[in-house]
Amino acid sequence: MSAPVKGLGLRLRWLLFVESLGLQGSWNPQRMQNLGLLSIMTVWLRRLPRNVERDRLFCRRYYEFFNTNPYLANYLVGALLRLETEREHGAETPRGLAATVRDSLGRSLASLGDQLFWLGLRPALVMGMGLLALDGNVEGVLTLVGCFALGQFLLRWLALERGYALGMDVVEVVAHPLWHRAIAAATRLGMFLTGAVAGVYAVRLLALEGQGSGGLLAAGAALGLGLPLVLRRRLPGEVLVVVALVLALILSFANPMVKG
Amino acid sequence: MDLLASDGDLLRLLAVALLGGWLTLDDTAWSQTWFSQPLPAGLLAGLIGGDPLTGLAIGLPLQLVLVGNLPVGQSFIGDPTVAVVGAVAAAVLSGHNLRSALVTGEFGLPLLGWLILGAALLSLAGHLLVQAERRAHVPLMLQGHRTLRDGDLSRIQRLHRRSLALTFLRGALGALLATLFLARLWIPLLAVLPERVQAASGILAVLLPGLGLGVTIERYGVVRSLPWFALGLAAALATVRWGP
Repeated sequence: MSAPVKGLGLRLRWLLFVESLGLQGSWNPQRMQNLGLLSIMTVWLRRLPRNVERDRLFCRRYYEFFNTNPYLANYLVGALLRLETEREHGAETPRGLAATVRDSLGRSLASLGDQLFWLGLRPALVMGMGLLALDGNVEGVLTLVGCFALGQFLLRWLALERGYALGMDVVEVVAHPLWHRAIAAATRLGMFLTGAVAGVYAVRLLALEGQGSGGLLAAGAALGLGLPLVLRRRLPGEVLVVVALVLALILSFANPMVKG
Repeated sequence: MDLLASDGDLLRLLAVALLGGWLTLDDTAWSQTWFSQPLPAGLLAGLIGGDPLTGLAIGLPLQLVLVGNLPVGQSFIGDPTVAVVGAVAAAVLSGHNLRSALVTGEFGLPLLGWLILGAALLSLAGHLLVQAERRAHVPLMLQGHRTLRDGDLSRIQRLHRRSLALTFLRGALGALLATLFLARLWIPLLAVLPERVQAASGILAVLLPGLGLGVTIERYGVVRSLPWFALGLAAALATVRWGP
């Protein structure tokens, strides 16, 4: 029977946390985050007495293709470390279990994290920053981003310990309805703030004679809404800027605005 | 104004390079705090030059129009961080201020649109560099196979840190070169272009926020977002109408 497993300990947890911030640092098109994941896992392994054969096999287990959302990855890292700790303490672990957990949980966390962070929180934060920027509020913008930064650091820190405590039961975390409520809330907030930014822009533009026209704001919005429908694909923002330049050139014949 | 007229300018350029390196790491490689998003990145670059509002004026339209770019997996990401740092640093360090875009809402400044266009083109070019760097990570990663044979764990962390150093270098050099290119060539070019193009640059700056908002609404789904969007719009208009 295996010995009971203790927590990670503060120092090891700190070292793992710092290393985990660079999960994507060696992202490559062949195996994506594999080197990053192994780099984190070796922080734990290097604290054990040297055993070449065990280390070789350990690295082999984590050098395959791996990709997940970096903000939620520590749930998985914690769970994998728990699995390895139990193995080190003599527990029987089925062959291939680490790879199965890594792949299936990695995919679930990637999907969850992308919805929450990239599609939910980022647009909301962008619009929040936009409102503050339109007011010229430098400190406000920095504070808002700073709060997000601290929040995601805290999540990563807690996720490491939670993943370790739960071990294979970490799948319960993914299934928790709170995530989907958070995604829905972030999305609604983003939509609300998008409307608020549109309102402030419109008022500012309409207040200025000469550049008069909220019409240009509306033309831009129509372009942004209409292009994906017409082209049936979403263009990168940079390409949209170039497309907007063409529209601006056409409009310049009709609208002799703008001071030099 | 000459960009390298004094030792102070040289120091500021060095600070811009360091900022570019740090923010490029932050973008996807290390920590992802979102200080590397175009708006805060522009603000930080503006702070280095002593003009944060110009940083906001350039960063805001770019941020809005790039909100649809999702840096997920192998999808297109461009390199807006280096581009916006370069654009803001070039404007501020060569003595142009675009504060009036935010202070008086004068969004249609030709130089504003022109710099945003320059930043967008640099970001597109930077995408190729990002891809090249990621391909350069492959041989580094493959070197790690030796550890699968000899169990040398320090090699894994060494290779990983080398990849991070490569990313930092790309950001630092990229920001420096972008600043010099935009300050020495791109900004002066505007003055010699036909008036029609200058006017179009001004219109572009006014079009972009709407474009960004349109892109965001399209991402959310028009029907789904309409009630929340309308609520936000009404709240903003009410605040302006009855606010202080």
